Amino acid sequence: MRRVDSLKRQMLRDAVRENLEVIEGRAPAGLRRGGRWARAAVRAVALVGVPLALFASINAFSGGGATSPEVVVVPQRTIVPSAAEPGLEAVSWPAPKSIDPTLFHLDVKTIVLDAGHGGTDPGALTADGLPEKEIALDVAERLRAKLRGGLFRVVMTREGDETVSLRERARRAREAGGDVLVSIHLNSIPRAGEGGIETYFLGPTDDPAIRQLASAENRSSGYSLSDFRGLLEGVYVDVRQAESRKLAESVQGELVASLRKITPGVGDRGVKSAPFVVLIASEMPGILAEVSCVSHAEEARLLRDEAFRETIADALARGVRAWADARNLAGAGRSGNG
Amino acid sequence: MSGKKDVFHVGIDLGTSRSAIAASNGEHHVVESYVGWPVDMVARKVVKKAVLFGHEALENRPMLDLHRPLERGLIKEGSPKAEAAVRELLAHLIERAGGAGKTVHAVVGVPAEAMRVSRQHLRNAVKGVADSLLLVSEPFAVAYGMDALLHTMIIDIGAGTSDFCVMNGRYPTDDDQRTLTHAGDSVDEQLVLQIRARHPEANFSIHMVRDWKEKHSFVGEPKGPVVVEAPVRGKPTSLEITAEMRKACESLVGPLAETMLDLLSRVDPEYQQRVRNNIVLAGGGSQIPGLAAALERTLEDVGGGKVRAVEDPVFAGANGSLAIAADAPEGDWERLAG
Repeated sequence: MRRVDSLKRQMLRDAVRENLEVIEGRAPAGLRRGGRWARAAVRAVALVGVPLALFASINAFSGGGATSPEVVVVPQRTIVPSAAEPGLEAVSWPAPKSIDPTLFHLDVKTIVLDAGHGGTDPGALTADGLPEKEIALDVAERLRAKLRGGLFRVVMTREGDETVSLRERARRAREAGGDVLVSIHLNSIPRAGEGGIETYFLGPTDDPAIRQLASAENRSSGYSLSDFRGLLEGVYVDVRQAESRKLAESVQGELVASLRKITPGVGDRGVKSAPFVVLIASEMPGILAEVSCVSHAEEARLLRDEAFRETIADALARGVRAWADARNLAGAGRSGNG
Repeated sequence: MSGKKDVFHVGIDLGTSRSAIAASNGEHHVVESYVGWPVDMVARKVVKKAVLFGHEALENRPMLDLHRPLERGLIKEGSPKAEAAVRELLAHLIERAGGAGKTVHAVVGVPAEAMRVSRQHLRNAVKGVADSLLLVSEPFAVAYGMDALLHTMIIDIGAGTSDFCVMNGRYPTDDDQRTLTHAGDSVDEQLVLQIRARHPEANFSIHMVRDWKEKHSFVGEPKGPVVVEAPVRGKPTSLEITAEMRKACESLVGPLAETMLDLLSRVDPEYQQRVRNNIVLAGGGSQIPGLAAALERTLEDVGGGKVRAVEDPVFAGANGSLAIAADAPEGDWERLAG
């Protein structure tokens, strides 16, 4: 009994401390930077520094170690420890720099398509009740048919109207040995008359609207916030971010160009970064494309039309192929020069 | 003279679907988490109140601007009405419990997701409803009220979210908690789709479906046919929905079991067996007949365990919050005032 009382006292103290931190506008202890970021920094050094060192040593052995155009001299960055951890000394390390993935001659072979939502999660609805989950799956199936004919192996994270958590989607993508993930969603914008296309790649964001969108999409991920932070710390310096941005730009360009031929007023909401769990946890380059907007009356009407959905799938296929070709060609070129 | 005897302590469970209060004078009340304001002067004259709550608000919804302030366990961000609804709801509960005109110290248990994602937002929303106020996560409040602070897992199945919390003898951190949106509302949505597919001619609302679920939910083998009544072309008609009810309720089992096993696997191996034998279901969903047994069966592969439901799901959280309020030292209440 005494033990329970003692536990209760300690927990009460912690609950009060957490509330006071919120009242005083401080981040709760578990969220504060400091030790966590210092640890992340060490991890970042390991993540980027080790492959760089490895590459440099390989170059040295092969006689090509003079100056490689791919290895960029990076500026120094210093992190000063927070006052909360006075014992920790200031450390310097090279700012993380993405490695050009074509250095490793890895072709894009397996493409993972992720149709958003599904099962008990309908996603957003058009005014007349057509759910996002159905449109996303239809577009994904059309895209699969288009990509399969080429050199790609195509894997879907869901095949039918099934409930699949984001965590499970990411697991399926990883287990399939995917080289790239394309997550297909439809926008829903509360402001009347607004619509359009936007494509996200993995990265941080300061935009409150995007934060809210990512938070909503991530909510049923099955990951805790602590998992989430751990994942983020591991990937923002990762090679995936640069590759994902290129893919996002390629896809967004194709989507806007194609859909404007059908509906000239369709909005180009651009390429943006956001921390969607499915992009983080899949551990491969990836994008989340909001291929149209269910809350926009004209786009919602068009989305009921098979030809419009086919056009979307065509544009996505062209965007993915253009990115993959550029990447594979660059790799082949380097291979030939080696 | 501490003055503590003049203080009115309350514990509140602020839920997506229902909110409950337990007060130091022995009063217990529960209200559905609906808040409605008359839409115009005519409506105001008819309902004769400035604001309506719970069942009364639901009954008069055509004349009201009706709000359910929490959605999927989170306060709706950027919605002043949702914030006002939270404030009105808490003030209403405190008044019903007899707190008007007294010095009120309140502990409010909220969905774990709200504590993690929008604690600052929530704190601002509830400012001023009590003289001093402490926010805690709902599963922690349940655990505290049961003295289940060590080697216990609480699974609080609410309407918007299912919150998991492993009690390790410390105030729970993000690592100890998980939130899923597979909860009461997702069962309702599933049930609507199932019934609509089988009885497309039947006319029913989400509120009717919720009512049917409360009366007839089950997991496993049915004890008898589930028959409900709904209008078909205006005529009251009996609908048999046994299979639909089972399928909708059983949609919870997979995600709950997956998350339960995942959290268990993260417990120190030395204590895993003790936690497995001490899993407690709370919240409205805990009362689904057969659910505890179904979750217990999923533990068989990892050595077996025991899953039980709290005896009083309506007030377990509020009673726990009241226990916290009674135990918190006066000095802490002074620091939390304002």
